[in-house]
Amino acid sequence: MTAANLIDTRRFGQIECKDSDLVTFRQGLVGFPDRTRFMLIQHDPESPFHWLQSVEDGNLAFLVADPAIFVKDYAPEMPDATAEFLELKEDTPRLVYTIVNIPRGQTSEMTINLAGPIIVNVETGEATQVILEDDSYSIRHRVFGERVGKVAA
Amino acid sequence: MLVLTRKTNESIIIGNDVQITVLEVRGEQVRLGILAPRNVPVHRYEVYVRISEENQSAAETDPSDIPETPKSPDE
Repeated sequence: MTAANLIDTRRFGQIECKDSDLVTFRQGLVGFPDRTRFMLIQHDPESPFHWLQSVEDGNLAFLVADPAIFVKDYAPEMPDATAEFLELKEDTPRLVYTIVNIPRGQTSEMTINLAGPIIVNVETGEATQVILEDDSYSIRHRVFGERVGKVAA
Repeated sequence: MLVLTRKTNESIIIGNDVQITVLEVRGEQVRLGILAPRNVPVHRYEVYVRISEENQSAAETDPSDIPETPKSPDE
């Protein structure tokens, strides 16, 4: 193992960058056009959560999960441009992730971004974040239901 | 910012392969036709910005806040 394979990260310390866990976003993620290489890391062995840790920026990581854990029947239509870009044919194995957002210290406020799923072509390791123009998909879908309003005494 | 004046049915071309045509102007609304390679994503800007802002916010998520067991759908 050479030093070039190690990345220093804010959340996970020094980790080894393995080609087998590499996911490449040639166009970057939305708002992060220069961050193209990410490591897919399982949060812990029992957890459904994964992290996309930037290889180029140790501070940058996104918490992701399979949206099917949180919502039933989530099957957004894949834009032609996405299928083309990722070279996805009908039977190409793929992964769909939703980016999870948890405000610091407020787990109950966790939301998932159903309007911007991440699609991975498992065969090539190429990935992209899709922007769904359909307004029925929420950018901040609450996972733990609606906030319970409390009336101050 | 480059500013160009176009009439209905006139176009601009960006690079060699992105063509934007003014199809109709009605009051405050302008309808645009966009010809771009199939692998070039085209979005309304405000939608793009909302996703970008959400990504910036989500990038602050800390491992210590992850729930032990996520809730099942529709419980």
